[in-house]
Amino acid sequence: MEDRETEEVFEALWTLQENGTPPTIENLSRIAHLENPSEVIIKLVENGTLKEKEGKVFFTPESEKKAAEIIRRHRLAEVLLHEVLAIESPQMESNACEFEHVLSPQVTDSVCTFLGHPPYCPHGKPIPRGSCCSKFQVKLKPLVTRLSDFQPGDEGKIRYIATRVHPRMGRLSSLGVVPGSMVKLRQKRPSFIVEIGHTIIAIDQDIASNIFVQKTS
Amino acid sequence: MPAHHRRRRRRFRGRSFPASLPRFVLVGNPNVGKSVIFNLLTRRYASVSNYPGTTVELASARTTLNRQPALIVDTPGVNSLIPMSEEEMVTRDILLLEDPRAIILVIDSKNLRRGLLIALQLAEMGLPFLIDLNMEDEAKSLGMKVNVSKLSELLGVKVVPTVSTHKKGIKDLTDLIPQSSHASYPISYRPEIEEGIAQLAPLIKSSRINKRAIALMLLAGDRSLIPWLSFQLSREAIEQIDNIRSRIEAKFHQPISSLINQQLLQVADEIIHKVQKEQKRERRNWQEVVGRLSLHPLWGIPILLFVLFLVYQFVGKFGAGTTATFMENVVFGKYINPWVTEGVKYLLPVKFIQELIVGEYGLVTMALTYSFAIILPIVTYFFLAFALLEDSGYLPRLSAMLNSPFKIIGLTGKAVLPLMLGLGCCTMATLSARILDSKKERILVTLLLALSIPCSAQMAVILALLAGISFKATLWWGGTIIAVLIGTSFASSRLLPGASPDFIMELPPIRRPQLSNILLKTGSRIMWYLKEAVPLFILGTLVLFVLDKFNVLSYLEKVASPVITQFLDLPSRATQAFIVGFLRRDYGVAGLYMLAKQGQLSGIQIVVSVTTLTLFVPCIANLFVMLKERGWKVTSLMLAFIIPVSLLIGGLLNFILRIFAVQF
Repeated sequence: MEDRETEEVFEALWTLQENGTPPTIENLSRIAHLENPSEVIIKLVENGTLKEKEGKVFFTPESEKKAAEIIRRHRLAEVLLHEVLAIESPQMESNACEFEHVLSPQVTDSVCTFLGHPPYCPHGKPIPRGSCCSKFQVKLKPLVTRLSDFQPGDEGKIRYIATRVHPRMGRLSSLGVVPGSMVKLRQKRPSFIVEIGHTIIAIDQDIASNIFVQKTS
Repeated sequence: MPAHHRRRRRRFRGRSFPASLPRFVLVGNPNVGKSVIFNLLTRRYASVSNYPGTTVELASARTTLNRQPALIVDTPGVNSLIPMSEEEMVTRDILLLEDPRAIILVIDSKNLRRGLLIALQLAEMGLPFLIDLNMEDEAKSLGMKVNVSKLSELLGVKVVPTVSTHKKGIKDLTDLIPQSSHASYPISYRPEIEEGIAQLAPLIKSSRINKRAIALMLLAGDRSLIPWLSFQLSREAIEQIDNIRSRIEAKFHQPISSLINQQLLQVADEIIHKVQKEQKRERRNWQEVVGRLSLHPLWGIPILLFVLFLVYQFVGKFGAGTTATFMENVVFGKYINPWVTEGVKYLLPVKFIQELIVGEYGLVTMALTYSFAIILPIVTYFFLAFALLEDSGYLPRLSAMLNSPFKIIGLTGKAVLPLMLGLGCCTMATLSARILDSKKERILVTLLLALSIPCSAQMAVILALLAGISFKATLWWGGTIIAVLIGTSFASSRLLPGASPDFIMELPPIRRPQLSNILLKTGSRIMWYLKEAVPLFILGTLVLFVLDKFNVLSYLEKVASPVITQFLDLPSRATQAFIVGFLRRDYGVAGLYMLAKQGQLSGIQIVVSVTTLTLFVPCIANLFVMLKERGWKVTSLMLAFIIPVSLLIGGLLNFILRIFAVQF
């Protein structure tokens, strides 16, 4: 991984390119979260990590690949915080900024798989694909999925219940739907019907999509 | 003080049962056979009443238990004693306030985990109890075996296996009730929660329930305890409790109630591991097959339609048709009413009083005839059918089947029940909207009942009238009503504030219903109807009588006439039908029926007038129930919506039918 300053410059340059803003040193310095950005940019151009042409800065093929990974970590972190942990901006953004520097490639792929390889971040911007996403097409199934993505007959262990509605969670927990319980999906239509032990419960699709399950069979 | 506070306060004043008798309280999850055990322990008529300040039904009965007089109380089914619903709150309140001598915890042997959750909570509360492991036969057939003595030893309470449907083990249960004891099964929660308990406990005054259990409820954010606390604590102390709670809650991302349940279930799982042996046995008996079929995405639909058809035949045809007609025309028409009329005329020679009792809007000839001859048979048959569906376990499956179409119009599958009852009697149906979980859904259903559901009395006359013209006329009427129902629900569910209601429903196994239980349930519900609805029919008739005496009715007729003649293109005599329809919905249509018979209405006029009248204001008894259940503000808003909308729809229908020159 690159150092933190480099990563901030990569992120800023990627954002500029995506928005179609001219990637001048001036523009870059404005949006990069750094104390003296122009110094760092000049250093990166000098050591060949970035290219400069007529006052504009560009990626080299290698640095572009690295930048894509940073953006991917940042946006996946946003999805994780927003959709699963139900954390709203601005905490979502500030935390995602920290995540992008610390996630290792393995953890990033696990998060991506856990989230079901989301194509867009909560702001609607595309998430660069990782190696796990293409494997997904062939064989890799996500470790943890939403109960709503289960097929009838699938069984699994509840890992997490993400809901902003607290009474809903209280009602579910008193019926035995808590992390650690084993569930079996019986059918998806006309309602979601799940078995927890010998208790059978019918729930809405929205509630099923709040329940994250690790498949066992 | 807001109304709900006043109601809450009443809850905490004094006891709701006779004080002298020792009380034994039945507690358990829903559908574990509690009421069957209750009937076996009491063997006599139970009094069913609402718990003060709530809408929850509660059965209690005096009996002799081991040669001592006792009062047995059957509480509503609960999933946790940290209340998440009104039923759970009532059960918790009984444990807290009604000083139970002992608690009989009924557990479904197949669902040991959920039953143990409550056992652990009772242990935490420090209340004396014993466990009834019911439905032992069902568990056995699934290959499950519980080591009863080990469970008893672990928890430190008596455990009795029973099969209540075969009266097995009841004698043992009765014998052991006096040996109820406090369980000892200490549970420790996460350090943050324990810290909260330690901070809260000194603030709580002693009561029947241990401070630790009360502290847990408070940490879980149980607001229903606040009024009880405010009786004994200062405002500052309550504020302090609130502060502690929010400080602890902020440490977690999940609700504390859920964390507590998680911990309890984990402990329950440990206990189960020690006492239960389960051999996986996929045995499919007929109940299992019926249960699966009734939920099948494809086969479930014909089963659903068939059940609805049977209910309609039973309630609509046999109840509203045969029985109600017989009661009205023969029992009341030929015997009771003529006799009473004769008697009153002979005994009370004052014309005013005669008219009050046996006149056109008389208390006997209208109010009692209506409530006993027409509505009573309908609700009796409906309650019978309802109890049968409930006890067989089909009812929640019906809701699960209908949930997705109902979701589109902003309701959940549960709403099918009051709407179906509305086809019998909208007054009763509006009362039964209480079964719905959210306030928003209750308001929506009340509105739909008042606006668009014709009651069986009205429906019979409507169908007779429309069938006289053509099937096409019935289709136009039915189509318009259904379109208005869907449109109104769709639009108002999006306009009304509040989130769309959640659908979380437990589906109990399909079971062979027990006749005695069904009759008992139906009996207590009929008593409920007599107490709640009949006085409203009497009050409504009185209001009518007064309006008639002071000529308000004929004045209203004059005012309304221009709207009816000009906007709806109807003869002015039709106005009377609309006014009378407010009093008795079938009389309104009957008025139109007479006009049509005399040849004063064209085909289009019949369809327009019948449609408008169906949508128009509900009957006066229904209006009273709306006022009682929803308050005057919501009811006035609904009327302000219903009156113009019904007339507008009528006018629009008239316009369309004339433009396209539809022939009937």
